[in-house]
Amino acid sequence: MDLLRTEHAFQDGLIGRSQDVLRVVRGNARESAETMFGVYRKAYWARLVEALGNDFPALNALMGDEAFDRMARAYIARNPSQHPSIRWAGRRLAEFLAGEAPYRDDPWFGDMARFDWALAFAFDAPDAPAAALADLAGMPPEFWGTIRLQFHPTLDHFGVSTPVDEARLRLLENADVTLDRQARCDRAIMVWRIAYDLKFRAIDLLEHAALQAMQNGATFGDMCELVAQQVSPDAAPLRAAQILQGWLECGIVATVGHEGLGSAA
Amino acid sequence: MAERAVTDLGFGLGLRSQHYPAILEGTPDVDWFEIISENYMVDGGRPLAKLMAIRERYPMVMHGVSLSIGSTDPLNMDYLARLKALAARVEPAIVSDHLCWTGVAGLNMHDLLPLPLTEEALAHVAARVDQVQSFLGRELALENASTYVTFAQDAIPEWEFLAEIARRTGCRLLLDVNNIYVSAFNHDFRAIDYIDAIPREAVAYIHLAGHENNKTYIIDTHDHPVVGDVWQLYAHAIQRLGPVATMIERDDKIPPLEELVQELAHARKVAAAALKKQAQVA
Ligand SMILES: [Fe+2]
Repeated sequence: MDLLRTEHAFQDGLIGRSQDVLRVVRGNARESAETMFGVYRKAYWARLVEALGNDFPALNALMGDEAFDRMARAYIARNPSQHPSIRWAGRRLAEFLAGEAPYRDDPWFGDMARFDWALAFAFDAPDAPAAALADLAGMPPEFWGTIRLQFHPTLDHFGVSTPVDEARLRLLENADVTLDRQARCDRAIMVWRIAYDLKFRAIDLLEHAALQAMQNGATFGDMCELVAQQVSPDAAPLRAAQILQGWLECGIVATVGHEGLGSAA
Repeated sequence: MAERAVTDLGFGLGLRSQHYPAILEGTPDVDWFEIISENYMVDGGRPLAKLMAIRERYPMVMHGVSLSIGSTDPLNMDYLARLKALAARVEPAIVSDHLCWTGVAGLNMHDLLPLPLTEEALAHVAARVDQVQSFLGRELALENASTYVTFAQDAIPEWEFLAEIARRTGCRLLLDVNNIYVSAFNHDFRAIDYIDAIPREAVAYIHLAGHENNKTYIIDTHDHPVVGDVWQLYAHAIQRLGPVATMIERDDKIPPLEELVQELAHARKVAAAALKKQAQVA
């Protein structure tokens, strides 16, 4: 068997696609080829399950070790790693849980996986300074409508239908904590990093829609219109300004641009 | 930091995140650190910041696990570009990876998989080492991995395979004495024969580690202290090779830094005794 066919047979043996590899590998004087190849096969699955456990600690606590192990193997079988770094192996886990029976029947799983993943992403996403509220000070009122934002490179956000933001820390402190698993909600979570500290905050759907719009290049004026569709026109400017202020105070904005600066994106 | 030949670095440890505070707040008796390259191929955050803070104080060696030099997939140029960028940042004494492959068809098994030891594989690996060395613009060191199976088509002993790769490409070797011990046990050859066949001038540095003996085979778990037999083999290697930079790897059940520094002190003693013996023989 040539090198190419040998490697493909070996890999197929690891992932369980075929056992043809046993025709070309040899064990030793004491153990069969099957046993010795099994060292590789077991290590492959165990290593990936362990890596997923490290990247999804709250999901692991939520499911319990046995169920997590079973789920992780099903996920890996469907989504073998394609990245040189094992820390990306769980890239599609939240998606998998949201789409796959039986996991899709419990939205806690997909939501918690998404939350764990955002924190893992923010951990070593690029460093960047954050803009501050002071960056708005002294801005002539006529430029407010043209404000555009660049968000911090560590920022991630996603909608959830379960209160995983309230449950996560409690689960990590005690995996046996009693949670109201019937609890549902309709909101979003933002995750980001300041220096080396991971942060998160729950936001309502209006703020989430505003965040998505601004991230897609909308101006503050566009955002005010979007807010006005949800709250009374009188209250809209204040509400929009409060949202913007909150973003600047918590550190998710990297730069503020507006037409007066000539630096609008 | 002044350039020093990798061979002369002295006694090092694998850098593990658990030890960042102990390293940065103390003055552990460690001459250099080896980093797992992939752990720092990230865009920012704490790992990179700590890495560079420690780099200011210690020489480093970069050790990768995903080069996949023996794979029949094309080389991953994106990975190599990241490796090169990290090397520009860290300025390591050398960049190393393993004589192995990690996947085909675009997949990564995240393991150091064994190669059939044939002329075909030898030519394949040598050509890729050439490619990698010219892309990185520097020498690569290849490590012997622990293996659990051999192949029906094997035609070349692993020590000759490695020596020949080094001869053809000018690459260096990272001699893992524990891995030699593990593979010798698993495949019933003499570890000493392996060490005696390695070309002295090719050896860049030495790995020491612990393992788990299952009686009928050994698994290279890197979660135990170095065992007595491996210390003996290490002494033999130093007697034959002369002074070579040496480090201890611990990847699992990681003890406090102090414990590894003590194990490293033992390595210094074993090496010193071996060199003394060598001088007496000469
Ligand atoms: Fe090693």
